[in-house]
Amino acid sequence: MAVGPDRITFWFGCNVLRHAELIRLSIMLLERAGYDVSAAGGPAYCCGTAHDHQPKAASTMSGRTVSRFNEAAASEGRGTVVTWCPSCHMHMADIMSPGSTAKFDVAHVTEMLADSADRLAPLLTVPVKRRILLHRHLGFRTHVPVNDRVRALLSRIPGLEIVEGPAQPGHMCSSLAAVPGALAVAAGETWDAAVANQCDTVCTIFHTCHRELVALEGRQNVHVRNWVHLIAEAMGIGASDEYRGWRNGGAPDVAAIEKAGERNYNTLIEPELRKPSPLPGSA
Amino acid sequence: MKLPPARCETTEAYLAEAGPHLASLCTACGACFDACPMVRYSGLAGADAKAVAMGLRQLAVGETANPDTVAWVGVCAKSGLCRSACPEQSAGLDAMLLIRIARQRAINDTRQLKPKYDQMAFPRVKTFARLQLTDEELAEWL
Ligand code: SF4
Repeated sequence: MAVGPDRITFWFGCNVLRHAELIRLSIMLLERAGYDVSAAGGPAYCCGTAHDHQPKAASTMSGRTVSRFNEAAASEGRGTVVTWCPSCHMHMADIMSPGSTAKFDVAHVTEMLADSADRLAPLLTVPVKRRILLHRHLGFRTHVPVNDRVRALLSRIPGLEIVEGPAQPGHMCSSLAAVPGALAVAAGETWDAAVANQCDTVCTIFHTCHRELVALEGRQNVHVRNWVHLIAEAMGIGASDEYRGWRNGGAPDVAAIEKAGERNYNTLIEPELRKPSPLPGSA
Repeated sequence: MKLPPARCETTEAYLAEAGPHLASLCTACGACFDACPMVRYSGLAGADAKAVAMGLRQLAVGETANPDTVAWVGVCAKSGLCRSACPEQSAGLDAMLLIRIARQRAINDTRQLKPKYDQMAFPRVKTFARLQLTDEELAEWL
């Protein structure tokens, strides 16, 4: 099948599976921007970036994922892979494609949507009366000017006031979580900046930042939303954030836990949901 | 973005080739270390940047490096400031990739660094997926 510029694969990655609404809303936004979207992610589409200690396994995973996207380009005409996760994006650009023939282009979801901002803007009809602090990182700008792209999109939302937060090291909070002390500093500086600038909301860009910062939801009357949640809000779409609720004392319903497997829930999920917040001394 | 053409048949082969190549371009000037915002977490504030950078070249070819270099590559969080700080960037040296390869070699070859890997990462994300996705989404997306 001939490759069409409007036919894309949305490669959302692995860890954003904690936040199903971010995947669904991103697909919806890409569709509203005019793309025919096929979504793919999870371990079967692993990029291999977290497997530096297993070079052969990482190589096999990355080769398999590139083959799948080549197949989608050949059989479905999907010539662009649109990423969500900056780790996947950088790994594709720097390591996967030099190590396997990729018959597709790559773009980040924020680039695709910012390029379609004129098409999306008329859909943003509901004023969002928030003053947000945009939580930013230094990394990934090597590949995509993501902070600028998100700001450009959010600037189309009526009523929204945007303050740029201090740019933190790393490409997202998960890269800091692995370094003792680093995440607490990043979270603390972000929160302090939100309070100092009279912001009522911290806006995350990536899923791992969201995962960490939602544990601070409501502290000093500051709330946590992802940029996708805010766009949905401006479109009048109610966007649930189940992870935020679970991380703050809630729990999935019994049917969902049964579907996921009670033992897996107790051993793999519950400990993450109940771990201490990234800011010492906070609830 | 157009992706670069493949240079090897696997990422393993590419990284094996890229390490010595990038090391040969590196002059151990230390600009990448000086630009790095993670140095504060490595206990190396005030260290000799050139000496730390020299270890990058050693690790990238699979040779044991000084403990300071190992500590530094161990806290890399992919901030990327090293890339543009590197004076050899125009010659084809991607400092961020060199540091990534040095870290991989410190884990797998010289065994100076312990891997940080969550063995349960895949089972965990699969469980999160089953908590929230419909059967159709599970079948179509994963
Ligand atoms: S990678 Fe670049 S900045 Fe770092 S020591 Fe080598 S030449 Fe200098």
